Amino acid sequence: MTNIFRIILLVVSLFTMIFMLKRIRQSKIQIEDSLFWILFAVMVVILGAFPVIADFMAGVIGIYSTVNFIFLFFIFILLIKEFSMTIKISQLENKIKELTQEIALGKATEQHESNSKTYTADSEAEKR
Amino acid sequence: MKELLIIIPAYNEEKSIERVVNHVINDYPEYDYVVVNDGSKDHTAKICRKNGYNLIDLPVNLGLAGAFQTGLKYAYRQGYEYAIQYDADGQHKAEYIEKMLTEMKKGYDIVIGSRFVDDKKPHSMRMLGSRIISTAIMLTTHKRVKDPTSGMRMFNRAMLKEFALNLNYGPEPDTISYLLREGVKLSEVQVEMDERLEGESYLNMVRSIKYMIHMTVSILVIQNFRKRDSRFVKDEKNVEVLK
Repeated sequence: MTNIFRIILLVVSLFTMIFMLKRIRQSKIQIEDSLFWILFAVMVVILGAFPVIADFMAGVIGIYSTVNFIFLFFIFILLIKEFSMTIKISQLENKIKELTQEIALGKATEQHESNSKTYTADSEAEKR
Repeated sequence: MKELLIIIPAYNEEKSIERVVNHVINDYPEYDYVVVNDGSKDHTAKICRKNGYNLIDLPVNLGLAGAFQTGLKYAYRQGYEYAIQYDADGQHKAEYIEKMLTEMKKGYDIVIGSRFVDDKKPHSMRMLGSRIISTAIMLTTHKRVKDPTSGMRMFNRAMLKEFALNLNYGPEPDTISYLLREGVKLSEVQVEMDERLEGESYLNMVRSIKYMIHMTVSILVIQNFRKRDSRFVKDEKNVEVLK
């Protein structure tokens, strides 16, 4: 790993960290959602600061270049994140759908009830 | 209207909800209560309606934090002075509410029903988590919270308003730690708790580890960067500015 690459890693992780903490400070993100990015940034810092770890891991898996290991590593992590986000978004859409239906159905039943009430009141008046 | 509202968040508690709520209604008429059904998949809501309980029925599942916040919003809008978080599975004992309320009126903002004020913390795996969180809080606030994971917490009006209206105010140890650092007055009162009689605990192994990572990172790192909405700061300097 070249020193420039290490510096890039450190700078990027620093920016990620600052950005997330700023969002939390402004109450713009839930803490549990920011957690992934904070831990992600810490991991990038560790890999940038101690390239020995990446060298070792690359050797274990049998990857020729350390940098390739780092790419692969982060592609995997981001894929997992993408996967869990897809699930979460799908659940969210379903929740919004259910909520919208619930509100609309609630209003419809209310209206239906008040309609039938006026109807019975009218018919009683007619009887008299 | 009574001065204290017991908030009972319930998620799939059909086996215990009747016993717990009837106990509160029959033996503690001096408090009001509300059940917040958190989109349960079982018959929790049906049972509550059949018995005519005071019920807020969430159409989708929000999780404990969201459900409890719903209860706090209700308490805030209805004008309650105090609110307490109370488990629907029968872990908490209502006989200690009075003791906590008395402590509260000495001028505290939050009172925790704690298992370990007088009693010693056992050396089990479950309590290891509690110890780690206590230590994390100690490191950042220099204050000792003996039972940070206790779910029996009482809030005064200022606190319940703040919890009701803000983001990142889950009823969890990290919020407690953050507020302690902000100078909120907290006290702990010795209580007993029952083991769960039915249903399974929300925390299994994987969830517990995730929870622990979440709490420690949150308390040690993230909470230090938060900024409190100035409307909720009970600080004389700020009052001057607002004037």
